[in-house]
Amino acid sequence: MNRVQPRGLSFSRARGQARAWLSKPANIILLLFLLSLTLLTLYPLVSMLSETVTIHTGREARAAKEAAGSLSLYHFQRLFATQENDYSWIQFYQPFLNTLIVSIAASVIAILFGGAVAFLVTRTDLKYKKFVSAVFTFPYIMPSWTLALFWETFFKNVNIGLKTSNGIMASVFHVFLPEWFVYGAFPIALVLGLHYAPFAYILIGGILRNMDANLEEAATILKTSRPRIIWRITLPIVKPAMLSTFLLVFASSMSAYSVPVFLGSPVRYYVLSTKMKSLMDSYPGQAYIIVGVMILFGVAILLLNQKVTNSRKQFTTVTGKSGQISKIRLGKANRPVALILVIVLLLVAVLPLITFALESVIIKAGDYSPANMTLDFWIGRDLDQRLDQGDSTGILLNPKVWNALGFSLGLAVTCAVVAGTCGILVGYGVAKRRGSRLASWVNSLSFFPYLMPSLAFGAIYLAMSSRIPWLRGFLLLALVGSVKYLPFASRSGVNAMLQLSGEIEEAALITGVPWWKRMVRVIFPIQKSSFLSGYLLPMVSCMRELSLFVLLVPTSNTILTTMLMQYSEKGWAQFGNAINLLIIVVVLLVNFTVNKLTGASIDKGVGG
Amino acid sequence: MPAIRLKNVAKRFGKFVAVDNLNLDIESNAFITLLGPSGCGKTTTLRMIAGLETPTEGTITIDEKVVFDADKGINLPPNKRDVGFLFQNYALWPHMTVYQNIAFGLENLKWSRERIRERVDELLKMLKIEQFEKRYPAELSGGQQQRVAIARTLAPGPKVLFMDEPLSNLDAKLRMEMRTELKRLHRDTDSTFVYVTHDQLEAMTLSTKVCIMETGILQQYAPPLEMYNNPANLFVADFMGNPTMNFVDGQLQEDGMLLFGGIRARFASQEKLPAGRRDVVVGIRPEYIHIDPDGALKATVYSTLPSGMETTVKLDMQGMQLTAVVFGDVDYPVDSMVHFSFHKTAVIFDRETGKNIARGSLNV
Amino acid sequence: MKKILALALALMMTMCCFGAMADVTADVETGETLTHDELVEKAMAETGTFVVYGNTSRIATAAEDFAALYQIPVESNNLKDQEIYTKLRSENGNEAADMVMIQDGAQLTDAIDEGLVVNFVPASVKDALDAGDQQPALVHQYINKLFIYNNRGDAVPAIRNVWELTAPEMKGNVIFKNPESEKVNMNFLVMCTKPEWADKLAEAYKEWKGEEIDLGEYENAGYKWVAEFLDNVTFGKSDTNIAEEISQDTAEGKIGLFVLSKLRSSSVITDNLTVAQYDATANGYEVKPFAGFMYPMYTMINTKATRPYTGMLFVEYLMTQDGFKPWGKSIGAYSPNAEIAVNEGDLTIDLWKNTLVMEDAEYILDSFEVEDFILQHCQN
Repeated sequence: MNRVQPRGLSFSRARGQARAWLSKPANIILLLFLLSLTLLTLYPLVSMLSETVTIHTGREARAAKEAAGSLSLYHFQRLFATQENDYSWIQFYQPFLNTLIVSIAASVIAILFGGAVAFLVTRTDLKYKKFVSAVFTFPYIMPSWTLALFWETFFKNVNIGLKTSNGIMASVFHVFLPEWFVYGAFPIALVLGLHYAPFAYILIGGILRNMDANLEEAATILKTSRPRIIWRITLPIVKPAMLSTFLLVFASSMSAYSVPVFLGSPVRYYVLSTKMKSLMDSYPGQAYIIVGVMILFGVAILLLNQKVTNSRKQFTTVTGKSGQISKIRLGKANRPVALILVIVLLLVAVLPLITFALESVIIKAGDYSPANMTLDFWIGRDLDQRLDQGDSTGILLNPKVWNALGFSLGLAVTCAVVAGTCGILVGYGVAKRRGSRLASWVNSLSFFPYLMPSLAFGAIYLAMSSRIPWLRGFLLLALVGSVKYLPFASRSGVNAMLQLSGEIEEAALITGVPWWKRMVRVIFPIQKSSFLSGYLLPMVSCMRELSLFVLLVPTSNTILTTMLMQYSEKGWAQFGNAINLLIIVVVLLVNFTVNKLTGASIDKGVGG
Repeated sequence: MPAIRLKNVAKRFGKFVAVDNLNLDIESNAFITLLGPSGCGKTTTLRMIAGLETPTEGTITIDEKVVFDADKGINLPPNKRDVGFLFQNYALWPHMTVYQNIAFGLENLKWSRERIRERVDELLKMLKIEQFEKRYPAELSGGQQQRVAIARTLAPGPKVLFMDEPLSNLDAKLRMEMRTELKRLHRDTDSTFVYVTHDQLEAMTLSTKVCIMETGILQQYAPPLEMYNNPANLFVADFMGNPTMNFVDGQLQEDGMLLFGGIRARFASQEKLPAGRRDVVVGIRPEYIHIDPDGALKATVYSTLPSGMETTVKLDMQGMQLTAVVFGDVDYPVDSMVHFSFHKTAVIFDRETGKNIARGSLNV
Repeated sequence: MKKILALALALMMTMCCFGAMADVTADVETGETLTHDELVEKAMAETGTFVVYGNTSRIATAAEDFAALYQIPVESNNLKDQEIYTKLRSENGNEAADMVMIQDGAQLTDAIDEGLVVNFVPASVKDALDAGDQQPALVHQYINKLFIYNNRGDAVPAIRNVWELTAPEMKGNVIFKNPESEKVNMNFLVMCTKPEWADKLAEAYKEWKGEEIDLGEYENAGYKWVAEFLDNVTFGKSDTNIAEEISQDTAEGKIGLFVLSKLRSSSVITDNLTVAQYDATANGYEVKPFAGFMYPMYTMINTKATRPYTGMLFVEYLMTQDGFKPWGKSIGAYSPNAEIAVNEGDLTIDLWKNTLVMEDAEYILDSFEVEDFILQHCQN
């Protein structure tokens, strides 16, 4: 045996290798994304880290007794090791523990609820499936804080919280719930869990839908009991999806701000994100340390996630052959299970909508009599004269609302197109070069924006844009939105591409079909619904995003959510509820239209 | 001039060597099979020739045109190599009808619509799938999908056709049928076929020449029957033929006598035997062990495996297991005593290196 | 990974080299010497859309009126203080605000030192203002947060002394916005510990209990009151929400400390609410030692403004009767301009200045340990 020894590097050889490497579109894509994502995600990270060791002007410099702009470990010492007045405990350790509890609980709730529904919908002959899968994504479409608001207004009573008024549950049904149910860790985790349960539904459902039924059938033949099959066979198969869900929900819950404020503050329950926000006012250095801790946690789970899902990498399901899935018959249990599910969904997904509608037509809070109702907040005129409140016209007659709606939609569509397309390209590159270091870098980088709390992400981009004269207005918002929501698109892109056997593309390559045509004519049409979901998820998230954009919008009337927030802050709850409903209806309409036209929908999203 | 020439081709994935220093000449209009167990590098080799994989070292020439040269930095993309590729999983595009699947590549070659229509019709007819023209792949059976895949590959009329285990997803009967079709197709299309399989029978029946590989290294490259009768080494000998060759440890004496399993036989060969005594492995094909009452040797029957056309008989000769094949349906009672003799050829291999020393006949 | 970091750092460096804009301080100095007509002339010479940020929703109305008056394009943005500061630090060029309306004197003092904003006092209104309302920053209006209670039921918390709020039976009946989430609330609590107010609180304690205050572990009466007050408080989301909640029929016995102007909201059942100070004035007593607190809203010119004279003209406009109109419609906002009368039914600014706790930026800036103490009592 004479093994060939690598020869010395000659110039032509190196050039040839480089040319061969660059002739593969996957390599070029990965290279471009490596460069741009480094700039767009690592730069913010680095600048954020530099904030944690910089003394800022104002109160920070005064408290630290150090010159503004100097480098110091003061913030770390102060946040982590100040015993006086229990400072560290109050500002960091206690909220940190609360954050852990709430985020873990929210993840578990999301996985259990979303996973169970996913199982029922994909693997059983459950009744009302269509309704269930359509309505299930509603809580995700609503801004999470509106769900929190709903929870409070529905369940509050005079024995708990502010102890001032009764919600519908107490006033109509005379059920006075205990405080732990309405305020604090439990409702925060539950609301976040419900809000993010669609992630579990999408990811776990994706696996269950594509899972080879033979695996379960084989066990059935071996006379394994049904629960045992689920426990020993189905669960391990969906474990990677469950971990992915855990990662997504945990990271999101950790940086969720409004829900803990609404449901936590009456009982003085604080989490890291609320501390981060209030520290940002006077002590940005400490605030950025908290951001750093959040990111660190996200990265740790991401690494764990990667370790577990690595073995899944060779998992391809679309090869050119197709199989059948047998559905479990629920039998007698079908109707009760379906009914319970429908009722639960009505409660968490439809009732809030009705409440928003109701709250948008009553004049004085808490009075639900017809005499107290008006459509003025939707279509009224001269309101400031008659009601001495709010804008002069109802939201549907207000050109500012229509402008904001147009802007929001334009922004959401742009972000969706950019993020979605990039997601497909990242998916293509990563799947083609899977196992290579370049691919895993790009894969991780493209997920990274997800781990950055929106508020901090927006602040850093604002600072970044100040040095780039042309990065302004719509362009800036679109860039931030696209980067922030790339993770959704890249996840669905990577998953869709991994499911697609390489031969499918090679079959076209060999007949000389150029790359763009392979993408447009072969790859995209085959995984159309997965890819389109990669467009939809950023769109939905963008439509209801607030904290990411709040610092970047030219005026508060620019997008619907800042307008909504402003109305709520001013106490014009009716306008706020009306706009909230408008957002949800628009998103539902878009989702419905896309679904009817192409068959794609959010619920087919991340996992494909 | 060979249609395809591989010179010192190697492929490494990091530290793992998939293909090592491969030299191969494939003649025009040949039907070559790359054969070996899974992971031996055969698919990688095929993909390198097609341009789907970039070799680490070496040069590849197709039709006198250098398509790859690591040193000169030449690397033609697959579509510039004028080749066709038939994939293991068919790789039919699920969103296109049968017609569209076949026509897509031709549209891309800027053929006129009429010409495409004509060509597709021709192929549909040739592969007997006319009635499925408007169907989608999911609406076809495995065999039909395979035919569509073949039609699609043949459509542009490639000079060289690569096939990567194209029949492995079919059932035994269909596979037999498709083999016949492929061999016929090879004649009709007048092109060079390179075929990857792990099924030695497929290689034997289809190809004009077989290239057998193991762990990235070429073991033997020869016409199938030559490979069968005169395998280059123990690996090839073992891989080719079913039931497999009998291997018995033995010793070759200075005088050309062979001692194995208590048998002393004269080994007559036209090749020059190495001088001195040496440890060898004697390889005897089952069909060259003849069971007949006049045989000089005796053994007990361990078990009989009739399959209709032939019967495999496992013999036990003082602890030495031998497999014999008898034509027709013959039943020997278990544990009965039979006589047998060696016919035709045996091959002796060096026990240390496994290499073929010589082929010859055995006279007990 | 190291390479990536190095790359990012390099990019950051190159980006940092941009920037450095002209400062408008000199223009503002000039502006203070100009008459109204001269100011208009200079402002009209400026181009582009005039941009203002304000921590008040009514800035939008004022900006629209201003735009209509001078026929110039105006963009207004209602933001919280912190968002305004973040934007002031990061933005420059045409999109940045030319002028801001901002709260929290303590932070503003720092912002002036930092050179983020510059004070402008229009010559035309100079004489109508107290010196204290002109420097270091021009006060556009005062806003007050008052003790306001639900007047239904038997146990109406019609307080006459703030120490009543610290009684055990008041636990859970006092509602206030978390001082962590709004700086002016924090400032108020910090101010209570200033010796001046601490002494008044000690005096009030004596009046209430009839005995000298026992400070125990507390530094002064201010600390004691703050701690015991916070221990009884439930935190509400926003002043609007607090106002709505306390005005409910079911909210008997509840008292809150929130912005008086929230009473204008149609979602608030005003009849159910009584302002402690109104009741005191009507019945001739005082709420000891304070009936709430008051803080200014300032107008400032961005030092990086691209349209400084339009900014100054807007400041001037805001200080006039017309400019104050959006706030002057209802109670709870007070112009320092002596020529602008308070709203009907409201008390005069002079009275409020005497009965309410006012910010002292210097004291607040030096008292960050007091904030730690307050945070500690915002815990359970």
